[in-house]
Amino acid sequence: LNMAAAAADGAATAATCVRPKAWSEQVEDAYRFQLAGYRDAQEYRSVRGSDPERWNGSGFIKKLERRDGSFYYFNKVRECADKEVLQCKLYH
Amino acid sequence: MKPKTVDRAEAARQKAFTTQALQRNVNVGAPPRSGAFQEKCRSQPTQFRKFYERGDFPIALEFDTKGNKIAWKVEIEKLDYHHYLPLFFEGLAETEHPYEFFARQGVHDMLEHGGSKILPVIPQLIIPIKNALNTRNQKVCCTVLKALQHLVVSADMIGEALVPYYRQILPILNAFINKNENLGDGIDYSQQKRENLGDLIHETLNAFEIHGGEDAFINIKYMVPTYESCMLQ
Repeated sequence: LNMAAAAADGAATAATCVRPKAWSEQVEDAYRFQLAGYRDAQEYRSVRGSDPERWNGSGFIKKLERRDGSFYYFNKVRECADKEVLQCKLYH
Repeated sequence: MKPKTVDRAEAARQKAFTTQALQRNVNVGAPPRSGAFQEKCRSQPTQFRKFYERGDFPIALEFDTKGNKIAWKVEIEKLDYHHYLPLFFEGLAETEHPYEFFARQGVHDMLEHGGSKILPVIPQLIIPIKNALNTRNQKVCCTVLKALQHLVVSADMIGEALVPYYRQILPILNAFINKNENLGDGIDYSQQKRENLGDLIHETLNAFEIHGGEDAFINIKYMVPTYESCMLQ
């Protein structure tokens, strides 16, 4: 019962949280999710029920729906500045 | 009854272009300033400001972000571009926060995600662009030029669609194309931050020429005679 509850709760909790030191595509994704008020893709999927829209060329996130129903739109290119990289959190 | 007093400079100007001006002891003074480069303040607020204060825009107005994003209440793909895009372009003439921030970001987002919906709206954008450039405010002009550069690359055929309207939007660029400071060997930080008006105008005209098709260069040259082509002929 505990394992089933833990699996169901996996969407809401993560085992570790790491602060990245350098930019990567994973960091860019995490930055965009956290700007919209989510932890990561897993939480977005559990709240919204679908994956976010992505740009064709770069594969970065294009549009996110916030918890209040409004939308954030992101650029095709990198948006996370170097000084913002240290503020991001990567959950595993 | 008090005698009418006339300003001395005004009196001197009244003598200009008369036979009295040819006399040896008459000094007609300097010609009056034309005000070609003087900032022109708007007499009334823009439609953008009126709509913003009424809450008619589909944007959430809270400031819980890191300061460079606006939250849209409606998906941009579902917006009526004929109604909203000209309003956002009109807001580019604003200088106060938060109007200029929302106008600038709104234009950026709508151009980024507009696709084929932008081309039919081009004729309605010309008047707001012209009015914003005619304020002759450095910051406003820089914002509008960056918006124009984004506009020509946002979708196909937009560069060509803008060519007939060059005579309405390029005259003010001709006035400020040489607005570069001679710093000697100093570093021009405004160039790095893309706030140097002369360089921005050159960049914008280059973008117009690259995306404007065959007739673009000759039309630009007609309005801005000192412009030189950036494409190999």
